[in-house]
Amino acid sequence: MKTLWEGLFKRNPVFVLLFGLVPAVAITTTAINGWFLGVITSVIFLLTTVINYFVIPRLWESLRPVVKIAIVILFTVVIYTIVLEINPQVVASLGIFLPLIAVNAMVLQDPDENKTFGLHLLEALGQSLGFILAMVVLGIIREFLGYGAVFGYQITNASLAPLSLATSVPGGMIIVGLALAIVNKVRDRGGELHD
Amino acid sequence: MTNGWDFFAQTIITGNLVLVQGLGIYALIKYTDNVKTAAKNGLTTLVAMGIGGLLVWMFENLMFVSLGVKTGLYLIIGVVAAFSAPRILGMRISFQENMYQSALVGSLLLLGTEGVVAANNLSLPLGAGLGYLLTLVVMATLRKRLELAPIPKALKGAPIILITAGLLAIALLGFRF
Repeated sequence: MKTLWEGLFKRNPVFVLLFGLVPAVAITTTAINGWFLGVITSVIFLLTTVINYFVIPRLWESLRPVVKIAIVILFTVVIYTIVLEINPQVVASLGIFLPLIAVNAMVLQDPDENKTFGLHLLEALGQSLGFILAMVVLGIIREFLGYGAVFGYQITNASLAPLSLATSVPGGMIIVGLALAIVNKVRDRGGELHD
Repeated sequence: MTNGWDFFAQTIITGNLVLVQGLGIYALIKYTDNVKTAAKNGLTTLVAMGIGGLLVWMFENLMFVSLGVKTGLYLIIGVVAAFSAPRILGMRISFQENMYQSALVGSLLLLGTEGVVAANNLSLPLGAGLGYLLTLVVMATLRKRLELAPIPKALKGAPIILITAGLLAIALLGFRF
C-alpha cells in the first residue's frame, strides 16, 4: 500500500519526477484529454513493465535499450490501432501525442532487477495512477480557466471572460510551472532537476 | 499551397516545436544549463531530424495497411535517427538519452499529420531542428541570467524554466498576428 501511495504523491511521475511534461503541457487543455492520455499511457506502461521485467534482464547490456524501445513501440502501435478502432475521436483529439507515448520517460524507465515482480508491478501501478491524477488535475484547471467548464460541463456563465491562454501551449507551460512550484512548496523542496 | 520554404520558415519561429507545439520540454530542462550543452544537443537533434526527414521521404510511397503501421514506421525512423545522429557527429550521447526527446519523433509524426510530401519532408524537420537549436540556446542564455535573480526556493529549477519558456512562447506567438 505504501508503494502505491508513493507513486501517487511522494514520487508522482509528473509533479515530482518530471516525467511526461510534454503531454502535461500540450494535451491537458481539457480534463477528458488528460484522462484519456493518462489511461492509455498507463496501459502501455503496465504492459511494458511486465514484459520488461522478464525479458530485459536476460539480454546483453548493449541490446537492452533497443529491445526496450522496440517493445514500447510495439505496444504503442497495438494500443493506437485498438483506440482508433474503438473511438477515432480520441485519436483525433490526442493527435501526435498518442504515438509519442513511445518516448515518454516514465514508460522507458529501467526496471529495478533487485525488486520482486509484485513490488515492481505495484510501483508501476502507483506511478500510473499518479500520472493519471496529474493529467486530470492539470486538465481540470486548464479547462476551467480556459473554457469555464470541467469535463465538458459548463460551470461559469458567459459574463466571466475565459482565460483562453490557459488552453494554449504557453499557458500550459506557465500553469505546469506554477503547479510544480506549489508541489515544491508543499514538499519544502526546490531547485532540484531529477534525472 | 504551402511550399518548402514556408514549412522551413514557419517551423523556426511561428510553429516552433518547443515553444508553440510543446515538444522537447525534457531537453529544455535538461540541456539548457549552459550554452555549450544546449548547442551540442540542438545540433545533434537538428542532424537527427534531417536524417529522419530523409528516411520518411524515402518511404513515403509505401502502401500502408493501416494508420497504426504508418505511425509505427515513423516511430522506428525516429529511433534510427536518434541512434545515428550522435555517431555521425562523433558525439557521446547515449541512444536511450536521445530517445527521450519527443521533439525528434514529434517532428516526424507531424510530417504525417500535415500531409507533407516530397522534398518538404526534409524542409519541415530541418526548420524544426533549427528552431529547436535556437530555442535551446536562447533558453540556456536566459538561465544564466536567472541564476543571478532572487527567485523563491519553490520556483527554482524546473518551475522557473517552464514559466520563462511560457513567457518566451507568448512573445513568439506575437509573430503570428
